[in-house]
Amino acid sequence: MANVFALVETRAGEVRKVGLEAVTAARMLADKFGGEVHALLLGPPGIAGKAAQLGQHGADVVAVVEHAALNNYNPEVAAATAAERIKSGGYRAAVFSTTAQGRDLAPRVAARLGASIVTDVLSFEVEGDVVVVRHPMNIGKVIATIAMSGTPAVIAMRPNVIAPAQNAKAGRVENVQPAVDPASTKVKVVETKQGSGGKLDLAEAPVVVAGGRGLKAAENFKLVEDLASAFGNAAVGATRAVTDDGWRPHSDQIGQTGRLVSPELYIAVGISGAVQHLAGMRTSKTIVAVNKDKDAPIFKVADYGIVGDVFEVIPALTEAVREAKKHH
Amino acid sequence: MPDRAGKVLPVIHQAALPLDRLILSDPPDPEAVPMDVLFVGGGPAGLAGAIALARLIKADNEAGGDLGDVQIGVLEKSGALGEHSLSGAVVNPIAMRALFPELTDKDFPFRAPVAAERVYYMTDTRSVRIPTPPTMQNHGYQIASICEIVRWLGEKAEGLGVNIFTGFPAAALLTEGQRVTGVRTAPSGLSRNGDPGSGYAPPTDITAQITVLSEGTRGTLSQAYLEWQKIKSGNPQIFALGVKEIWETLKPLDAVVHTLGWPVPKDCFGGSFMYPLTRNLVALGLVVGLDYKRTSDDVHEMLQRMKLRTPFRDLLEAGEMTEWGAKTIPEGGYYALPERRHGDGVMIVGDAAGFVEVASLKGIHYAMQSGMFAARAAFNALKKKDTSAASLKEYDAMVDGSFIVKDLRKRRNMRLTFQDRNFYVAGLKAGLMTVTGGALFGGKIESHRDAEVPRDVSPPQPFVPDGKLTFSKLDAVFKSGNATRDDIPSHLIVGADITPQVADLYTHMCPAGVYERDGDRLVVSPANCVDCKATDVIGPRWTPREGGSGPKYRQM
Amino acid sequence: MKIAVCVKRVPDMDVRFRIAADSTSVDEAGLKFDINDFDAWAVEAALQLRDKNAGSEVTAISLGPDVVQETIRKALSMGVDKGVQLKADKVPFDGLAVAKALAEELKTGGYDLILFGKMSPDSSNGVVGAMVAELLGMPAVTAISSLEIADGKGKAKRELEGAQEFVEFPLPAVLTVDEGLNTARLPSLKGIMAAKKKPLEVKQAQIPQSQLTVRKLELPPERKAGRVVGEGASAVPELVKLLQTEAKVL
Repeated sequence: MANVFALVETRAGEVRKVGLEAVTAARMLADKFGGEVHALLLGPPGIAGKAAQLGQHGADVVAVVEHAALNNYNPEVAAATAAERIKSGGYRAAVFSTTAQGRDLAPRVAARLGASIVTDVLSFEVEGDVVVVRHPMNIGKVIATIAMSGTPAVIAMRPNVIAPAQNAKAGRVENVQPAVDPASTKVKVVETKQGSGGKLDLAEAPVVVAGGRGLKAAENFKLVEDLASAFGNAAVGATRAVTDDGWRPHSDQIGQTGRLVSPELYIAVGISGAVQHLAGMRTSKTIVAVNKDKDAPIFKVADYGIVGDVFEVIPALTEAVREAKKHH
Repeated sequence: MPDRAGKVLPVIHQAALPLDRLILSDPPDPEAVPMDVLFVGGGPAGLAGAIALARLIKADNEAGGDLGDVQIGVLEKSGALGEHSLSGAVVNPIAMRALFPELTDKDFPFRAPVAAERVYYMTDTRSVRIPTPPTMQNHGYQIASICEIVRWLGEKAEGLGVNIFTGFPAAALLTEGQRVTGVRTAPSGLSRNGDPGSGYAPPTDITAQITVLSEGTRGTLSQAYLEWQKIKSGNPQIFALGVKEIWETLKPLDAVVHTLGWPVPKDCFGGSFMYPLTRNLVALGLVVGLDYKRTSDDVHEMLQRMKLRTPFRDLLEAGEMTEWGAKTIPEGGYYALPERRHGDGVMIVGDAAGFVEVASLKGIHYAMQSGMFAARAAFNALKKKDTSAASLKEYDAMVDGSFIVKDLRKRRNMRLTFQDRNFYVAGLKAGLMTVTGGALFGGKIESHRDAEVPRDVSPPQPFVPDGKLTFSKLDAVFKSGNATRDDIPSHLIVGADITPQVADLYTHMCPAGVYERDGDRLVVSPANCVDCKATDVIGPRWTPREGGSGPKYRQM
Repeated sequence: MKIAVCVKRVPDMDVRFRIAADSTSVDEAGLKFDINDFDAWAVEAALQLRDKNAGSEVTAISLGPDVVQETIRKALSMGVDKGVQLKADKVPFDGLAVAKALAEELKTGGYDLILFGKMSPDSSNGVVGAMVAELLGMPAVTAISSLEIADGKGKAKRELEGAQEFVEFPLPAVLTVDEGLNTARLPSLKGIMAAKKKPLEVKQAQIPQSQLTVRKLELPPERKAGRVVGEGASAVPELVKLLQTEAKVL
């Protein structure tokens, strides 16, 4: 029996897009193995109501842990529960997401299982007994092909590389107790504070608009935010120079030591293109750069560039995008 | 006093050497790090000196001597050895063999022996092969990357217990009376206005019985010492600026190539070089004297134009530039050597002392040999427990009696004949000088400081880089590995009365684009600086800044 | 307080990498190595805690061949008290193998805190810290960007995507450190000299068999050269057209 486990990440009682990506990836693997997808969903009371969409995306079974103390992420409950289910279920593979939570949870589960793990997985294949994955190394400058011969093969997918796909399966809900009592855990998440209202996250957004030093002052980031709103599905990012100066929070920093993103469309506004920054966005499908310096290194990686004053070009682009979106 | 109409005289716009900051007479910090012998600058001279000294001490201790544990330090301003080292290079292995008699040539960090040589004379329209002038013959020498030599020497030095401190520029000499007692390093982590920012590290004092100044070309503390002690030389030291690139080529290069003539203006001294590090990895560059005659003369741009012509274009087409850099070379030769290169507790070695023979473009073996002589003098001084000038004087005697000064003396007027505005007359004189071993045209030719040479104000030729064979200064600096933080305080002291014409001079003088003219003002971007020192020679004064700043050369 | 920090020697990432002839490793010729930035922030956190808690001691541990002693010495130059090299021919790619080797050494140390950088840029997995915590049965908080320790307990902040998590935990614990926690101090000249005299123990590492094999490494496909569409606001209509028709992202 070669079933695949999927950990579906939630936040504040909602399933995150990466959770649907995990189920879709698990479905692809399970189809290669000829098995089922069993998803695990943890959250506060009412989270079971989100199980249906998991079935829509290919889950045969959805194990749900509902508990009042699980409004916030609880690493020990999640790790213990996932590990116990994977072990007892004899799964061939387990799929997680490479998010802040996934990076915390997936290795814990793997260690408990005595299994090896590869994170930030770009793609996977099955070759007989072996799961073969691709994983970026050296800040994306080298791509490794890795053979995983153990069972379960534990992987954490990079966000945005698998598009959630509808593939309706039974999605039978099983209510499950947490493997440990949430009240007894040593590490306690006391609060999860949402960032400034309803922003789309950098790792999930299909479009990212990022600003750099060329904006000259923190207040001018409004230009970037306006362009992002015009797209409607865009997140706002920043370079290290700008987060170091305090114009934007650290979590907005795209780069070697910050966030790695690969959206459909990346727009670099007033960004010169230091290697450090390129490392964070070079795998974006389409890159657009606007900079007043025609020699800026960013133009070497951009698919399309406009040389000009961002204070003139960006408002014009924002207007044009709004128009274009109106007719769709 | 303003410039004459239509001319810029660089010296009147230059700030003076800030002696009061460079020569300190305060007693060292009680927390000072004590060394016995300190080499300031981790290039071939300093490292060869440190290695030679460590070996002398080791042999002496093993033979029952009483020196015991002698702390040898090498201070290097760049973040890692080699990052600020740049040269052609074709190296005479004589000093390497003397330093490591137990090794053979194949153990040394050289790339390949010189197989074939070609020299071309170029004009606006043609490139003509000419017979190799005697001064440029390199048979028996080795093609090398000075970065690789320096890293290799560094490993040898560390293996011998030498303390190598990278990321620590020496910003001032500590003195007591006339004696040099050590150095004070530059602080790091200053914000743009000079106040300590986050990550601030204060200056550190290092005391030493003997300080060897191996700072390289236009060393700041070496200049300060010579001026403080009022040490003269026959002629002032003069400099050339070399701009260099490394290319991965699709076509192979099988010979060492030199060119004379275009694009160096007829009234300037200079020429180009192109050396194969491997068949498909080529080092090429252009060297031009800083006494050039027009405000618009721009060595980086001359190099870019040069690459579009035979014998360069064909070789570089479809290749890729992997590195770019720049550095000055002292060219004054024999007559520009300081009359005294030692003092109480101090010696000056290598390029900092001017041991470069410009006609053959050689300096690395002189640097190493001078470092080794300094090591011998230091060893003797430590044994005698006398590190005074009288004791260290033997360093000068060793240098004067060696091939270093013999070679420089033989070619003493080569460069200076080219201060003539006529290349052909100068070439003739230089040829006769060589052929007669200095008997003809051997009398000292007076030379002027580069900054005292007036430049004609002239508009530049427009230059548009194509981004494939030719590059802008901004692209070039990126390829030097320079990642200096944008908000670093300026280390450059700009002088008075910077007119738009002076701003133009600086714009074209600097290969790294530090200076730009914006309207009528001079705009300075100090983070671009690659420490070539051209600015110190004819423009704003260069001073030491935060360790690890500047370029990160790898195979230069 | 007894604090351990695990540090890794990694190559400078600002270069073009070449794949070695065996196609399963990166060509190291000409590469410069230094302590992983994230590990340097972990060392800084450890040193700050030591300086606030009299009688504390920090040990730096690194797995690998003898060259990793340079990295341990760098930590010692920053102020760490002792170093341990777990000697191994190579650092395995498999985070579980690394974690097991480190846990073997750490379990007898009686540490109140064990710190890691959240990830290393070469292998880019970011799993070792959390795995060590599980192997040692210790509570762990990963990717912290702020930290307070008092009375045997700790508080930390973690950056999530578009949110922040505030966590409390008891000691002993394992923490992995993210950017923004602090700025790592540069070694001073005095620190470099003092480091030469500090103890650096070399022990044989116990590296278990791994279930991961690196089959091959390759360079990502070159991005097709792009183009500058035009200058100034007048180029916007052309750009929008290209985004719609050619790139099909609008």
